[in-house]
Amino acid sequence: METIKNYLETMFAKMPNTPEVTKAKAELWQMMEDKYMELINEGKAENEAIGTVIAEFGNLDEILADLGIKDAAVFKNYDNIRHVTLDEVKQYLKNKAYEGYAIALGVFLCIVSCSGFLMGWKGAGTAFLFVSVAVAVGLFVFSGVVMSKWDYIKKEVCGISFETQEYVKSRQESFRVTYAMMITVGVILCILSVVPLASLERLFTRDDIGVVLMFYAIGIGVFLMVAAGVRSKSYKTILSLNKSVSADGTYEPLVKEKVYKNEKVKAVMSVYWLSVTCIYLIWSFLTFDWHITWIVWVIAALVEKVIEALYAS
Amino acid sequence: MSGISSDVIRGYNDTMILYLLLDAPSYGYEISKQIKKMSNEKYIIKETTLYSAFTRMEKNGYIESFYGDTENEKRRTYYRITEAGRNYYREKCEEWTLTKEVVENFISKY
Repeated sequence: METIKNYLETMFAKMPNTPEVTKAKAELWQMMEDKYMELINEGKAENEAIGTVIAEFGNLDEILADLGIKDAAVFKNYDNIRHVTLDEVKQYLKNKAYEGYAIALGVFLCIVSCSGFLMGWKGAGTAFLFVSVAVAVGLFVFSGVVMSKWDYIKKEVCGISFETQEYVKSRQESFRVTYAMMITVGVILCILSVVPLASLERLFTRDDIGVVLMFYAIGIGVFLMVAAGVRSKSYKTILSLNKSVSADGTYEPLVKEKVYKNEKVKAVMSVYWLSVTCIYLIWSFLTFDWHITWIVWVIAALVEKVIEALYAS
Repeated sequence: MSGISSDVIRGYNDTMILYLLLDAPSYGYEISKQIKKMSNEKYIIKETTLYSAFTRMEKNGYIESFYGDTENEKRRTYYRITEAGRNYYREKCEEWTLTKEVVENFISKY
């Protein structure tokens, strides 16, 4: 039975995941399964039954037209789809989970980087700020470089098999509760972060500890949300791969992200928005000029457009 | 020569399938089994051929598909013939009678 299933999977491996194709596959599987079961019930050996079923399967070319794949030339286009194997997907999900923690840790460090200052340590405060921001940027760059080997998933037209799709779906399903918990605790921490500010002030008659604790609470909250978000997104990325082929069978690649040809520009752009966030937070917390620091976002967006116009293809 | 050339029989797969649906709805494997049996095992229809015929005839309105449950609670697609399908079947029968009559005249001297 497994052999027949594999045979059918192989035959359909290069087909787009359209409703027509899914239906055809299910129907053909039904017929093959019925035939196999009957042959076995008639007392045929397993190998013989498998041989008969496969020999009498026919030729997929016969049903191409019924699947909305109009001519062979269009069908050829499906060869351009990069098939992402189950092993690759497993590795990708694993890397993505690590990337999630690395980025979350980086963001956490950015948020708490000013805590030394706030505690009133002059020299040590500056050192702590620079070290934590440096480590954070290091984490961003490192995970960016590690993840760059998966760029093709974002930029090329990829496809996954039915089996892989089911695997990712089950992984996504089992992550659902953890995800909900992480996001909930993250949000609660962010909301409750003002509690130490209000209560400790009375206790210690100094407000710096309260402020520092607030940043740590926000930091941990954001850490949880970022880690959960990155992982959840990785499942969605994989599951949306097959959507790049439209339902009526015509080949239509998704509008993929901008591609930077220049390696240096590419490296810079991969950490662009994270760096902008860092700059924004550092500037804001150092000067407390919140009324003016938001201009960073406007400038950053402008600069990104310029870089895109110059280097993107 | 061994077996039937699929080119020749192609035009009559529809006729065989419709014939088997005349009395009651049926499903993929059952139909292929009946075709094999009624042709005394001389013609075995391929799964892809059968599926192709189903989708084509459904598109043309000759048959309709619906889901039915089997003994072991599996969902299975059944097909039933429509009025248009019956008319088409009659036309195909007349066409075959004529074809047979014509071709017959040229057979036997060998």
